[in-house]
Amino acid sequence: MAEPSGIGDSIPLDDPGLDIAAGEEFLQEVFQILLEEGVQKSTDVTQKVCEWKEPQELRELMDLELRSDGEGQERLLQRCRDVLRLSVRTGHPRFFNQLFSGLDHHALAGRFLTETLNTSPYTYEVAPVLVLMEEQVLAKLRELVGWSSGDGIFAPGGSMSNMLAMNVARFRRFPESRSRGNWDLPRLGLFASQESHYSILKGAALLGIGTDNVHLVRTDERGKMIPEELEKEIQRVKAEGSEPLFVCATSGTTVLGAFDPLDAIADICARHGLWLHVDAAWGGSALLSPQLRHLLAGIHRSDSVTWNPHKLLMVGLQCSAFLLRDSSGLLQRCHGVGASYLFQQDKFYDVSLDTGDKSPQCGRRADGLKLWILWKAVGTRGLGWRVERAFAATRYLLEQVKRREGFQLVMEPEFINLCFWFIPPSLQGQESSPEFWDKLGKVAPAIKEKMIRRGSMMVGYQPLGSRVNFFRQIITNPAVTRQDLDFFLDEIQELGWDL
Amino acid sequence: MEVGAGKQEMLQKKSAVLVDGVILNGPIMDSKAGEKFVEEACKIIMEEIVQKADDVTEKVCEWQAPEKLKQILDLEMRDTGECHQKILQLCRDVIKYSVKTNHPRFFNQLYAGMDYYSLVARFITEALNPSVYTYEVSPVFLLVEEAVIKKMIEFIGWEEGDGIFNPGGSVSNMYAMNLARYKFCPEIKEKGLSGLPRLVLFASEECHYSMKKAASFLGIGTENVYFIKTDERGKMIPEELEKQVQRARKEGSAPFLVCATAGTTVLGAFDPLDKIADICENHGLWLHVDASWGGSALISRKHRRLLHGIHRADSVAWNPHKMLLAGIQCCALLVKDNSGLLKKCYSAEAAYLFQQDKFYDVSYDTGDKSIQCSRRPDAFKFWLMWKALGTTGLEERVNRALALARYLVEEIKKREGFQLLLEPEYANVCFWYIPPSLRKMEDGPEFWEKLHQVAPIIKERMMKKGSMMLGYQPHWGKVNFFRQVVISPQVSREDMDFLLDEIELLAKDL
Repeated sequence: MAEPSGIGDSIPLDDPGLDIAAGEEFLQEVFQILLEEGVQKSTDVTQKVCEWKEPQELRELMDLELRSDGEGQERLLQRCRDVLRLSVRTGHPRFFNQLFSGLDHHALAGRFLTETLNTSPYTYEVAPVLVLMEEQVLAKLRELVGWSSGDGIFAPGGSMSNMLAMNVARFRRFPESRSRGNWDLPRLGLFASQESHYSILKGAALLGIGTDNVHLVRTDERGKMIPEELEKEIQRVKAEGSEPLFVCATSGTTVLGAFDPLDAIADICARHGLWLHVDAAWGGSALLSPQLRHLLAGIHRSDSVTWNPHKLLMVGLQCSAFLLRDSSGLLQRCHGVGASYLFQQDKFYDVSLDTGDKSPQCGRRADGLKLWILWKAVGTRGLGWRVERAFAATRYLLEQVKRREGFQLVMEPEFINLCFWFIPPSLQGQESSPEFWDKLGKVAPAIKEKMIRRGSMMVGYQPLGSRVNFFRQIITNPAVTRQDLDFFLDEIQELGWDL
Repeated sequence: MEVGAGKQEMLQKKSAVLVDGVILNGPIMDSKAGEKFVEEACKIIMEEIVQKADDVTEKVCEWQAPEKLKQILDLEMRDTGECHQKILQLCRDVIKYSVKTNHPRFFNQLYAGMDYYSLVARFITEALNPSVYTYEVSPVFLLVEEAVIKKMIEFIGWEEGDGIFNPGGSVSNMYAMNLARYKFCPEIKEKGLSGLPRLVLFASEECHYSMKKAASFLGIGTENVYFIKTDERGKMIPEELEKQVQRARKEGSAPFLVCATAGTTVLGAFDPLDKIADICENHGLWLHVDASWGGSALISRKHRRLLHGIHRADSVAWNPHKMLLAGIQCCALLVKDNSGLLKKCYSAEAAYLFQQDKFYDVSYDTGDKSIQCSRRPDAFKFWLMWKALGTTGLEERVNRALALARYLVEEIKKREGFQLLLEPEYANVCFWYIPPSLRKMEDGPEFWEKLHQVAPIIKERMMKKGSMMLGYQPHWGKVNFFRQVVISPQVSREDMDFLLDEIELLAKDL
């Protein structure tokens, strides 16, 4: 029996239970701070990219503890300032660390709007505008892939989009596995290149397929999947008694920015009846550029595509589209359970607009709005132009890297990932010595530490296969200028000179 | 417009660099214009949404049929961009035709209202646009997440533990299911499920549908979710759970997980955690508590007894974006195990992101615990809100919501035509409205059939009028009834009175 709490809880219920005026005032104040400290400074080259603090020191500065009592406005405003000051400025023209960077003002406004609307686009009744918008945006992206129809949904990241592809592929081949599970299925075979994103492995584990059943296909010296090797792997896996199901081709690999040869791979998939998924999370935006779309030639032959506008298009995390060629309702049949409290069939409008059941998620963020606003502001051409600018900036940097002493390319970039080593004077000319590579591997981490402590810029490094640590330069932000690129090389030189 | 006008000018500048027809000198985006745009957009957001949020004279929704709305909105994405004025107008339109989930009379979902501190935090994170995978790239947000998880764990009653924030309670449940499976048989991560004994899990028949979706996604299969009967209050019957576990064993399948729900979606029922934990202990099953909705009752000293026994769970899903207004999304999965199980289960150790030779302690790079790669700093808005309100403030919120629910229940009992489904123990108030024309009718299939049609019509009318939004659904043989959910502190007693008055008004002629 429920305990009768009675109105004698002495909680006054007549007026709202929060101080609205104070709340609005606080919001206004923060807007100001945000515009100056967050937006203006974020993109200002004279500001630091990061304000490095050791974890323990940062903990103390932040005063993280959550207490019984609330704090006053002034203290809270100071906290806001602190967070802005102590966070990495991913919008800074010299933040090159990840596959996203920069700040677009239109998308930002779209993000503020999304937050304030605070809703989940699962049904038309609760989010009419956002549901329609999502459909519009997905259709546009599909158009660029080369499909005049199809399906899709936004997912919380490219990893999730890749997993959706895997699940839909499995469902199409084995529809009963949705209800019966994988127990009596044969061992499945998934294929992706050696350079593919690690979410394929994570997905295989999560889906109950098993990471052992992900077969990584060899890539050539440019990081592209070798079709003959794919064919070989498929045959090998078949001979072992597994059933090949799914090939993930990558358009724009994470480290090298390589593009798998989609036509050749599509031929193989067609021959073997395999699902072809293209992970174009990174490279998909090249479809916007008439000059660069050839990199994804053949993409229309795929069954599904992942494309993350939050990377190259600066739309803001997260924005990842899972696109499906099928328009027979496969996505709905695969994921839908028709929960009767949300997807009632007796609503007074056309319930086919309640698209939320297509997702394995229930509540979801409305990630389409910021992309839509950006697109409205800049147009397809404007977006394509941005991609081309990023590409041009990479070419400029490439030429400089070739000219400068001490810089050595890992490989000629196909896209926007510029990978190179910096060889400090102390190691120059020592390529044949046995400890050369070992020592070289320590250079990038040391330079990285210095740049972060200085706050002058951020760029990523990693080993790859047998190659020791090298830098991976990524230029997505159209605010990046030639001066920034020159600075980039100067800075590496300066920081690495005496190593 | 970004390109064009200044191009000639720029080419003439000293040492202009032209690559592939692209000038690389100065920035090509007009920052000043962009900043002004953001300022104006914020103004519109402030005026049209924030300042109107508590105004009951505003409409909750501006209903338009889909085809009409498509025309009004000019959704098409074209080759060229539009001017700022036009975009700002589009923003206004988006606001106008969007449902105002922060309106005091939006009761449709398990989220509602607006918290200013959370909103501020969200604006900050949008401006910073971080990704919470490594310390080097999001130091602040990573430490904040750690602190929030620690605090939430305290409320659950564990000495220590682990956790991560996820894009949704459904994903949290999926994580828990996978974690339980990994604990049961770690090899599954590499080998997959084929050829293994059939894993079986248990959840109440009132559980959230994400259990089904997760089971299918994970390759376990929806028919291997055994649903346990609930009592007349919607709570899992422990004896039935015991029966089902025995049955599963007899069949030769492998039970591995029980999901208890603390706060079911429709009825707001709380499964008896202590008894369920006993059964789980006896049988060596992982106990996951889906407290996405009810977890926030832990913050209230008065109401936390609803989740008595939760400390015995192995994992808990808890969504502050529901009852605590933290803002979508804010969902945590908390795990009792402190041996790094979460990391072992999910890690892939990608060398380009989780390098081991960084210059700081890389155990801070917690992103590898996640299924996701890039991830949003969802804990931060909860943290800032907690700093602003304190535990006491959050507790008041929960108490107030439940007091309002209690008030509504008493009013419903007093009013003719309103019939409660059951005495609620949380914030879900489920009831039928029986219009005058049906009140004299005899109880029987015809009565219920007619009653079934009442809620949809009232819902249509309220939406077209824009006066409020309230959910309805059929449920386990019961015809369509309303589910009233009280969350937002903006809601007051008058709104509860209004709710009942409005239903009466809209249904007058039915």
